[in-house]
Amino acid sequence: MIEVKSLEKIFGDKQALHDVSFQVKKGETFGFLGPSGSGKTTTIKILTGQMRQSSGTANVFGVPVSKLNTPEYRKRFGVVTDNSGLYARLTIYDNLKLYADLYGTSLQRIDEALESVNLGSEKKTQVAKLSKGMTQRVLLARTLLHKPELLFLDEPTSALDPANSKHIHNGLKELNRQGTTIFLTTHDMEEADHLCSQVAFLNKGVVQLLDEPKQLKKQYREEIIGIELKDGRELELPLKASSAEEIQQYISREMVERIYTKEPTLGDIFVEVTGRELV
Amino acid sequence: MTFSVKRFMAIFQKDLKDLYRNLYVSSTALMPLVFAVIYSRVGEVPLAMYLFVITLSLALVGTFLQCAIIAEEKEKNTLRGLMLSPATLTEILAGKSAVTIVITIIVTAVSMFIMGFSFDGRGWLIAGILLSLIFFIALGTWMGLITRSVLEASVYILPVMFIFGMANMFIGLADQFSFLQVLEYTPGIQLEEIANLGESGAGFDELWKPFAIIGAWVAATLVLAAVTFKKRMMD
Repeated sequence: MIEVKSLEKIFGDKQALHDVSFQVKKGETFGFLGPSGSGKTTTIKILTGQMRQSSGTANVFGVPVSKLNTPEYRKRFGVVTDNSGLYARLTIYDNLKLYADLYGTSLQRIDEALESVNLGSEKKTQVAKLSKGMTQRVLLARTLLHKPELLFLDEPTSALDPANSKHIHNGLKELNRQGTTIFLTTHDMEEADHLCSQVAFLNKGVVQLLDEPKQLKKQYREEIIGIELKDGRELELPLKASSAEEIQQYISREMVERIYTKEPTLGDIFVEVTGRELV
Repeated sequence: MTFSVKRFMAIFQKDLKDLYRNLYVSSTALMPLVFAVIYSRVGEVPLAMYLFVITLSLALVGTFLQCAIIAEEKEKNTLRGLMLSPATLTEILAGKSAVTIVITIIVTAVSMFIMGFSFDGRGWLIAGILLSLIFFIALGTWMGLITRSVLEASVYILPVMFIFGMANMFIGLADQFSFLQVLEYTPGIQLEEIANLGESGAGFDELWKPFAIIGAWVAATLVLAAVTFKKRMMD
């Protein structure tokens, strides 16, 4: 679906992307993770034909991104970025009707798309009266109208509260189940862990790690079993057969409050690999 | 190149609805009607005065409205959404221009009705006005693309108003200030030339020159607007 090879982008004397390569297969939810300024938005702009790369190749749907500016290709993908805008004087319905007409989808899809972002009862509301979180949800609904094959999402839940984030996450999972490939940029590692089948860590324009979240966690897992005892002590034992007897003793004496393995989060792995916090 | 009437109509209807709710821009666009009411009470009005109100309508409605519509799309980050949709450059610009064309024609026609000016038997003048309208709209499109907000557009429109909208008034001072003679080549003065030649019963062998000058303005601004739009499509 997306194939990027040795992509570079230079702004004046600043190199934003260095030799970036990755592939996104059909049906995948691919997470492009990194802190602000790491090159995530630049990559999305190149992949959606809004910006030209300095060198390297970027193909979407098997064609170079420079060929994406035809109505036929644009009907196949959708984009939500953090600076996408809506017509403030119009209602939510009027905003979505414009795009339903542009994409040639039925007006019934407006209600369905609004339901999927939990805004079904707000369609007559003027956009100027919406909160930032609601605006973000309308933008997402607008992108879902034409059921794109490929969805680019740039920080889609950055302005949302946990309840609405969860609602959006469920909607995106359902969309992915129906076959939509999702390219997601985020600095929310929990979101990436929850949604993505593959993630790439982008730091200062360089892809430093690329794998499945499960594999990364396995690879960076500490081989330790943690035991929290009822008297408040916490023990760490090696994840080896030799620890079994000691653990059994604690259990048989009914001293154990909790036993756990020390599995890192994607955020922990990012910090370990890049030496940077995700902000 | 594809052109979808459905997408063109979607943009046209959206802009019309949005403009209806935009009091600042729509009230500015109605300014020529105020001039028309004032001049209608003056009594005997020379042909030049009608042409002044027509040119003012073209500049204030055609250019400013188009400029404000596009500048606001940029200011509110909605133009990028349109450009990423299946709508083509032609459909976007045609949809927006259609709104401006309809309102400019209505304002111009109502202004002339108020002033008691009839277009009967003035086919050449109508043709000249329509050709000039393309120039003023292309100029507004280009200005909308180079300005970042409606407020900035309101400032940029001032020199356009003086040079292109009020040329018919300032040309009278050309004897005292020779640099003003350059205004003779503006579409407004050429429209006056077409009107005068038309009144005297001249044929196309005399009328081609003002039409050619307006045509040159149209070609130049269309190229400028198209090149600027293509550049602004990419970051």
